[in-house]
Amino acid sequence: MRKLKLSTVLDHAVLIAGSLFMILPLLMLLQMTTVPDTEIIRTGPSLTIGDQLDDNFRKAMFEASGFSGENTGLSMLKNSMILGIGFAFGKIVLGMMAAYAIVYFRLRFATFAFWLIFTTLLLPLEVRILPSYEVVQWLGMLNTYQGLIIPLIASATATFFFRQFFRSVPEELVEAARIDGAGPVKFFIDILVPLSQTMIAAMFIIMFVYGWNQYLWPTMITTDEDMYTLVRGIKQIVQVLEGAVVPEFGRSNVLALVAVIPPVLVVVFFQSWFVKGLTESDK
Amino acid sequence: MKRAGFTTVSLPVLLLLPQLVIIAVFFYWPTVVALQSSFYLQDPFGFGSTFVGLQNYIDLFGSREYRRIASFTVVFSLLVTFFSLAIALVLAVKADKVLRGARTYRTLLMWVYAVAPPVAGFIAVIMFNQSWGPLTEFFGFFGHDYMVGVNFNDTAFSMILASVWKQVPVNFIFFLSGLQSIPRSVREAALIDNRSASGRFWDVTFPLLAPTGFFLLIINITYSLFDTFGIVDIVVKGEPGNNPMTLVYKVYVDGFRGNDLGGSSAQSVILMVLVLALTIFQFRLIDRRIHYT
Amino acid sequence: MSRITLTSAVMSLALTTAASAQTEIELWHAMGGALGESVNQIAENFNASQDDVRLTPVFKGTYEETLTAGIAAFRAGEQPHIMQVFDAGAATVIGAKGATIPVQDLLSDNGVDFDIEDYISGVRYFFADSDGKMIGMPFNSSSPIMYYNVDALEAAGVTPPATWEEFQETTAPALAAAGYIPLAQSHLPWIFTENFHSRHNLPFATNDNGYGGLDTQILVNNDAIKAHFTALTEWQDAGYFEWYGTGWGDNQTPFEEGKVAIWLGSSGSFGGLAQKDLGFDFSATYLPYWEAVTSEPKQTFIGGAALFAMSGKSDAENAATARFFEYLTAPETQVLWHKETGYVPITEAAYEMAAAEGYYAEQPAAEIGIKQLSLAAGENTRGYRMGFYVQIRDVMNREYGRILTGETSVEDAFATIEEEANQLLSRFAQTQG
Repeated sequence: MRKLKLSTVLDHAVLIAGSLFMILPLLMLLQMTTVPDTEIIRTGPSLTIGDQLDDNFRKAMFEASGFSGENTGLSMLKNSMILGIGFAFGKIVLGMMAAYAIVYFRLRFATFAFWLIFTTLLLPLEVRILPSYEVVQWLGMLNTYQGLIIPLIASATATFFFRQFFRSVPEELVEAARIDGAGPVKFFIDILVPLSQTMIAAMFIIMFVYGWNQYLWPTMITTDEDMYTLVRGIKQIVQVLEGAVVPEFGRSNVLALVAVIPPVLVVVFFQSWFVKGLTESDK
Repeated sequence: MKRAGFTTVSLPVLLLLPQLVIIAVFFYWPTVVALQSSFYLQDPFGFGSTFVGLQNYIDLFGSREYRRIASFTVVFSLLVTFFSLAIALVLAVKADKVLRGARTYRTLLMWVYAVAPPVAGFIAVIMFNQSWGPLTEFFGFFGHDYMVGVNFNDTAFSMILASVWKQVPVNFIFFLSGLQSIPRSVREAALIDNRSASGRFWDVTFPLLAPTGFFLLIINITYSLFDTFGIVDIVVKGEPGNNPMTLVYKVYVDGFRGNDLGGSSAQSVILMVLVLALTIFQFRLIDRRIHYT
Repeated sequence: MSRITLTSAVMSLALTTAASAQTEIELWHAMGGALGESVNQIAENFNASQDDVRLTPVFKGTYEETLTAGIAAFRAGEQPHIMQVFDAGAATVIGAKGATIPVQDLLSDNGVDFDIEDYISGVRYFFADSDGKMIGMPFNSSSPIMYYNVDALEAAGVTPPATWEEFQETTAPALAAAGYIPLAQSHLPWIFTENFHSRHNLPFATNDNGYGGLDTQILVNNDAIKAHFTALTEWQDAGYFEWYGTGWGDNQTPFEEGKVAIWLGSSGSFGGLAQKDLGFDFSATYLPYWEAVTSEPKQTFIGGAALFAMSGKSDAENAATARFFEYLTAPETQVLWHKETGYVPITEAAYEMAAAEGYYAEQPAAEIGIKQLSLAAGENTRGYRMGFYVQIRDVMNREYGRILTGETSVEDAFATIEEEANQLLSRFAQTQG
């Protein structure tokens, strides 16, 4: 019995160490937002908790830099939301539509369409980043939400996932629906979409986090400050820290935290959906 | 498609159209442009260009620096992959074992999944600040004068640490779910057959987790190749200097910072070939995986 | 091109229909932080000074990002009216004839008097073409100068060194003995390469430093600069010099913290340093030179950036841009910019005005940049013009970093820089075909 206890203690020790490894860096960011910047540039992160959090939060979220006055934390938060939600929504809608067409219709060019779509799984955006940028520039979509979101949607992950899921739906359902005289649109909306609810939720969480966390593409596409997302703004933060008279660590760290908190909350609150979606979508 | 499906023609075409249009414009067109640009040298403003055949590729393969970056990318990817898999596996095995606080541990160990790579890089920049970074002081305590941005290995270590920190949670989630799907009967049988815990792990658990591991291997390599861009960019503060960099970062530096469209496109094409090879490898692994289970 | 003509046609049409309205012009710049606030201040003053033109400055990130954003916008027909381009991007933007309107033409076409002799000598030709026609309007002009911690030098009982020999034999040992790191600098390619050649009047590239044509070869692999970098490594070993990485701020911070006694930075750093509460007195003087290389040190290149008027705009908009340039070069504006940022005033008149106000009696260090730019010129001090220079600087930074971390030798590093730079230059020549 005593031996068993020792190993349990060891297990917990490992898990606690792992948890600390994960959480300490974020606590450090938080601590730095509570003390004055002048103290940070002298001593760096410490164990003291100051009273500057409110002040830094106000500066980060509402005070703008730049001539236009549009580059506040709040506007970046808005852009991040639009990117995260727009991306997740676009991807799921397009993916479901395409997957439905491929799985449930006899279509001569379905196989061809299938391959056209699934080839996109092979090459991530990063390897064709510059030409994608040129295309967006030719289309005059730099510094627009469309230019930010649509090229990111041009991949088949969601289509692939819904195709797998639709194929696991019992075939009798379609037949039953047809006997009831339900057309394809009715079947899709009344039966397939409700059936897919959990999957849609899981996908939405994964895609939201993925979209929210995009960095390279927004860095290239958005050069107007009022189009910055929070994650893209990190680059600006680092540059401003370099050149500032007194580096504003408090303000910067608040922005970094705001960039992290929404997707973390989504993942933590919808944990079971998210885990299910993640581990099953990749099978 | 064996389904007893509908026979309408116009509807599925309508359904497919948006996706196909987007893919055509934002996937196939850029891919063709990349291929085409890689054979030219172009004035960035678009006034002049010269067809140079394979010159961009020849220049790249002849460049000592490009080969150096390629080898760094390989080493970097292997280290990030190994450490994030190993740490995640240990944590998953422990989290699967404990009874008390299992849910709390799970949450604490997985939330970093949602942190964006550049934020991980930003944290590394603070941790390794030359004047007062906590980790700089930690290494200083052991007599190592840690200099991120100066010493190549120190900078590389910061990048690897940030990348591993960011990647452990994904692996943890997959390993844990893999462990939890091992049937109870198998576990009980193993308990009888094998007395030592480590013996049980290596003889039973590890082989059962192997398919998950193979799958994660590819995920992790892809992550280290592409998604670490944000970490690299923030840790070097946008100044390549003598800092380590990955192949994707080099595409960005040459194409976007230096406006060398031809050279950067040729690098993109090389990366495409690399990813294609990886994907083919992955498909074969998935085949094997089905075979295992 | 046809697309641009079309856009401008549409724009001029739009303007004629709204003839009474203000002309809106946009300026894309790379001035972050306090510098950006000064740019905004100038824009506000300009807008308040008249009713016909409204200028909006937009911060676009680093110099590299601003250039790339401007190029992309130009290709999409959405270029700003004015774009700030830094020294290393000069060849790219001036090489693309048709992308910009030479500032000299813009001003004279719009009835603004232009005489290149009004500008202080150091800034006249850096952003000019091979015939001496000014293409870009020098804006934030700076030069590398030597800042020093007055308290530290007093403690060590030394005066600021005029030559590197003096630094090596007298200044550095005394400062080291007094517990300081004697020397740091913030930009090896700019300070210890480009301006090294200018200060010592050495040719930096063939073809008249690259102004003469595209088939240019870099001349960086020479004995003088190799001796300089060899000395740097020796100083590093002796504790006379410390390198904190490629980033600008990483090297400036130790000076601000009082650890480093002498820091080579930009004359444009003056404003920022003066605003900070450093806890010690600082001053500045000329960049040292090697007596072994030259007994007649020359002026340095201007660094920083220039404003380029982009083509493809309507006549009314071009006139508005010219009007802003006129305002910008007025002595009052220049003196304000000079005082707030530390960048040098670009005209003789502005310089005289600042001097007459007694600014330099109060802040002698603020005059160093402009005095250094007004030192005697030589045949190699006009500037340099090399394509893909952003990458060439990156190659230099990389190899210098390797020298200073002991990964490579001075000899090998310069051979590599020469080889890679020449390859980049020949690649650039082909892009212009």
